[in-house]
Amino acid sequence: MKEYVIDAKEMAEKELNRSIKEQSSSHDKLIIENPESKHNICAGLSEDVDIEINGSAGYFVGTMVNGPKIHINGNAGWFAGDNMTKGELIIEGTAGDGAGQGIYGGTVIVKGNTGSRTGEIMKGGTIIIGGNSGFMTGLLMMGGKLIILGDVTDDVGESIMRGSIFVLGDVKSLGKNATMDQITSEDQKELKEVLTKYGFELSDEDYTNFKKIVNIQ
Amino acid sequence: MCGIAGVIYKDKKAHPVGEALTSMLESLQHRGPDSAGYAIYGSLNFPDNYYQLNVEVKRKRGALDNLKSLLNQFSPIFEEQLIKSVGDSDVYKCKITLDEYSLLKPCIREIDELENVRVINGSHSFEMIKDTGKVKDIAERFDVQNRMGTHGIGHTRFATESGVDRYHAHPYQSYIIPDITVVHNGQITNYWKIRDPLERKGHTFESFNDTECIVHYMADKLNQGYKLEEALDQAVIDLDGPFSILVGTPNGIGIAKDKLGLRPGVMVETDDIFAIASEEMALHDVTDSNQIEQIYPGETRAYTIR
Repeated sequence: MKEYVIDAKEMAEKELNRSIKEQSSSHDKLIIENPESKHNICAGLSEDVDIEINGSAGYFVGTMVNGPKIHINGNAGWFAGDNMTKGELIIEGTAGDGAGQGIYGGTVIVKGNTGSRTGEIMKGGTIIIGGNSGFMTGLLMMGGKLIILGDVTDDVGESIMRGSIFVLGDVKSLGKNATMDQITSEDQKELKEVLTKYGFELSDEDYTNFKKIVNIQ
Repeated sequence: MCGIAGVIYKDKKAHPVGEALTSMLESLQHRGPDSAGYAIYGSLNFPDNYYQLNVEVKRKRGALDNLKSLLNQFSPIFEEQLIKSVGDSDVYKCKITLDEYSLLKPCIREIDELENVRVINGSHSFEMIKDTGKVKDIAERFDVQNRMGTHGIGHTRFATESGVDRYHAHPYQSYIIPDITVVHNGQITNYWKIRDPLERKGHTFESFNDTECIVHYMADKLNQGYKLEEALDQAVIDLDGPFSILVGTPNGIGIAKDKLGLRPGVMVETDDIFAIASEEMALHDVTDSNQIEQIYPGETRAYTIR
């Protein structure tokens, strides 16, 4: 495996992204040190490359990516994985508002808590939040799977049109056009498959306790 | 946009707050390019009834002399300094003494009637530093790096309303109670609904800037006996629009975020410090902790040391 280390400390955003793009075509894995919460890291990257970010990323990390697998050993700011079409974004810490906003495909995982409007306008793909998610989670959702292992606050699924939100913890309130649906054995099987794949260990009983939120038909 | 930052040291001792806030604001420079400012608390250590005045003085013949002769009618002038700045004016800083706090605002109002001068602020327990330009330049111009204090708030401004000048840079101060300041990222959309009742109570406004409205609102609440946390909670109920408000008082700092959470705000709390910023990158300037907390819609957080 060909690895390459980029020290982002003294780099401007554009310089960092240019370096990521250049090195992606000739390496299997890039390790980014000292990201210092810079914004837009990996924006628009379409190479099938592994990226490890050692530290926190700022806003729009992994925006518009199509292919890379990005792993952040830290936190992320607003709109992590925004508009992703293919690939993987795993955040070990917490993320700000709008995590997984508008994704068409791929997987966004936040191990800790997220801010508000997680998965807003998502059209496909999967988002997994290991902790709690804030206000208006799944706002205007149009497709895909949004899985929350912790609690969600007010107005979950506000104006949801399609797609499913699965919540293991408490749901404070539902938004307009959102309703609780019966979770099926097929849903449980799919949840187990994807959660096990990403290392979330839940008991069989947990899988029966998921609440499923969809649009009112 | 605008960037906000605040830090408070829990041991109540003097720390390099100027240096800490400068690092934080430099990290937030991209959020606000046109002006920046600081309120550094615990930096002056003045005896009772002593105040620092910061006055903008145009480079016009006689302007400074007229200011000093008026000031001498109020008080002897101590520790004066003229700081060269940008544009057509400089900043004159001095220490004066007044019999009581209630005389500070009338003194400022009288100075403001002079031609070619405008009072930036008057304070007893904190130092206000604000100007147009980049954080780095302002920090050098006013020697901010050497300012020690217990806590402080700061701002980088991207003006969305009212002019870009030294006065409209944040922090804003109210004189309803001593030494309260506010920095703000956002817009208050029910501005007149907040301003009208304050004016009917006799509070005076110097501008149409919504941040000035917020600082009077907060000062009025604290003056009524609200605790900082309670005043922030009430602000979330009463103020409309997108905002993250960061308040500084001689006792602490606190943030309120609007009901829909439309402006950013993150914080970190360790055994030593409590810090707030628009973005995580600014928090890493004052702590190695990765335990960053999102401030949720309608949430308020505060820390006081006295």
